[in-house]
Amino acid sequence: MGEPSESSSERTMQSGEWAWKNTWNLLLGAVLLATVIFNVTQSSGYLSVDNFVNLFELHIEKVIVVVTMTFVIIAGEIDLSVAAVMAWSAAVLAALHENGVPLAAAIVVALAASGVVGLIHGFLIARVGLPSLVVTLAGLIGWRGAARVLVEDRSIGDFPGWFDRLGQQDLIGPLPLAVVIFIVLFAVGWVVLDRTATGRVLYVIGDNADVARYSAVNVVRIRFGLFLASSLAAGLAGVLFAARLGTVRGDLATGFELEIITIVLLGGVSIFGGSGRMSGVALAVLIVLNLRNGFGLANVGGNTQTGVIGAILIGSVLARNAIDRLHGRVRSPRSRPPGSAVTASTEPAGI
Amino acid sequence: MKLSKLSLALAGVLVLSAAACGGDDDDTAEPDATDLAPDTEAGATSEPGAEPTTASEETTPAETEATEAAGADDTAAGGGGGGGGDFSSILLPKCTGIAVFDQANEGALEAAGELGVSEAEFVGPASCTDSTGQIEFVTNAVTQGVDAIMISNNAGDQIEPAVQEAADAGIAVVAWDSPIPSGQGESLFVAQVDFDETGQVMADMATEILGPEGGEIAILSASPDAANQNAWIASFEEVLAEPDYASLQLVDTVYGNDDADESYNQALALIDAHPDLKLIMAPTTVGIAAAAKAMQDEGLCETVKVSGLGLPDEMRTYTENGCAPQFALWSFVDLGYLTFYAAHAIATGELTAEEGATFEAGRMGEYTIEVDPTRDSGLRIVMGPFSVYDESNVGE
Repeated sequence: MGEPSESSSERTMQSGEWAWKNTWNLLLGAVLLATVIFNVTQSSGYLSVDNFVNLFELHIEKVIVVVTMTFVIIAGEIDLSVAAVMAWSAAVLAALHENGVPLAAAIVVALAASGVVGLIHGFLIARVGLPSLVVTLAGLIGWRGAARVLVEDRSIGDFPGWFDRLGQQDLIGPLPLAVVIFIVLFAVGWVVLDRTATGRVLYVIGDNADVARYSAVNVVRIRFGLFLASSLAAGLAGVLFAARLGTVRGDLATGFELEIITIVLLGGVSIFGGSGRMSGVALAVLIVLNLRNGFGLANVGGNTQTGVIGAILIGSVLARNAIDRLHGRVRSPRSRPPGSAVTASTEPAGI
Repeated sequence: MKLSKLSLALAGVLVLSAAACGGDDDDTAEPDATDLAPDTEAGATSEPGAEPTTASEETTPAETEATEAAGADDTAAGGGGGGGGDFSSILLPKCTGIAVFDQANEGALEAAGELGVSEAEFVGPASCTDSTGQIEFVTNAVTQGVDAIMISNNAGDQIEPAVQEAADAGIAVVAWDSPIPSGQGESLFVAQVDFDETGQVMADMATEILGPEGGEIAILSASPDAANQNAWIASFEEVLAEPDYASLQLVDTVYGNDDADESYNQALALIDAHPDLKLIMAPTTVGIAAAAKAMQDEGLCETVKVSGLGLPDEMRTYTENGCAPQFALWSFVDLGYLTFYAAHAIATGELTAEEGATFEAGRMGEYTIEVDPTRDSGLRIVMGPFSVYDESNVGE
């Protein structure tokens, strides 16, 4: 990372890291290449600007949440509630709209409602110290239930034209708003994770929260922020989903959390926390989206798509194991991020 | 490449079985699932001679289909690239892996064979709970540049923008089984039956089963937000209100969400809650089979009967042992067949989707497009009729 404070021993470790990560990304790159080749040969219509926009647009709500989920998992936590929170914020939006609240105000309240979710989760996890798995599992059930209570078994629509257009039509060039938001979010996430002290602290917490705490890192605040960001991103994705679909139902985004987590793990982020990079996640996003799109265009059914993605995930985990072995890291299931411990202990300021 | 070989082989098998069934399918009244099994005897005899239909090509339909299947993966790609008169389409069920939708595909394959055009690609979401999956398939079909999309809508209004986009791209969108609620972007809805007729048929079956003394009946439905279920229940209640059916008392309506387990438990809960219950009416193929099994397992088939909408294949044992003496269904094979004919006619410009327009659908005869009275806007044709199954014909 070109830190001036690196010791020589750390540099050696980093070159090992470098090799490891690049092997991983090379592997993902190869899978992506294979997917693209398959698509080009099997599906005409694949190579067009419209299709590339479609490819993102059809799953854009998921990949927006992928950004924050990457942060959460790197920090050694999990957020299973994201899909339910998407439904929750969309349901709040729809219920307010149905009761005559101006849509702009309803959007603000819907986002705030997802923020409240984040605060509750953050409080229970960071402050009370409950495991995020349990808290967000409860959230998965609870917020979905709350959404269903608001929307009941109906489908609420009839949003103003501008809202539908926002979700369905191009904003900048061929890109709709949601895709623009995703690109911006992803870029910001990349910079934060790779280039800032906060990003490095996330790795330390994920690797060993005690070490982080002893290094004067405010773990509570970071975790609080993580779950707030996660819920806000999910809330935003829910609103965007409502705009794209034009209607809101209680079952909106059901099951998305697993697809989101799948992409993050495929990107090389360790489920144990402490390692993974945005570049890998970017490749994973491209693999999954291209695979779904290309298979769809080649009329390969949903079952096969899901099966292939599952196989790639398992294959990638096996490959990861093999690579770990190659680098003599068998003893620890976690691998260390770039200059983590050292950097954090020398740079506690600004956290 | 393995995948395409596999799909090629599959396509071949489907084509052959469709050809085998093609000859003996003229009898529209008995569209039961058993004729889906490739009847080799019929196939062997019917192949050369029995092409009584519109296929007027020099080659037999089977051959035509075989050659087209060989280039199958370009149906998608080509967007009619197969040359003049070729026809590319997708048949999109609510989800794959459901018997009735496979039957609809059989019907569509049969129609494609008769018309001598490429068969529809039968694709769909893996799970029926994935309501937005269909949007992806419709969007991809637009990219593929297909001529027609045939959809059993499982996404409510949410499918609208995607369907509208398809319509704007000049693709004929024909809904079947379940329509686009607003009718937006949809050329035509092929309704399986007149939804009002469903209530009448269910009431008649109840009377037939229970006899003049009647008794308490209850409804086991799918999910509380399934539009067609609710329409059928409403029409059932309307018919029950008539003096002729005064002996039937509807005491409860419960929901099993088209889940076999849940429906089974709901059926058991019904007999606990209503000790005098005489009949469970389940207008869903999942619910009726689960309810019949529940009554059979409890040894209650003598006191509580089951009826509704069911698949002959799944109901045969229960009908023969008296648990579910009568049930009804329309033919999904015919529904797929008619849908393919309609989509083909609209996409090729032979038929303009407007009120009063008529077209010829192969063995099923002529249909006239009418305004759909069950929706605010939209056009439909009604297939009908119901087939009522009992001991005498369930095994056929």
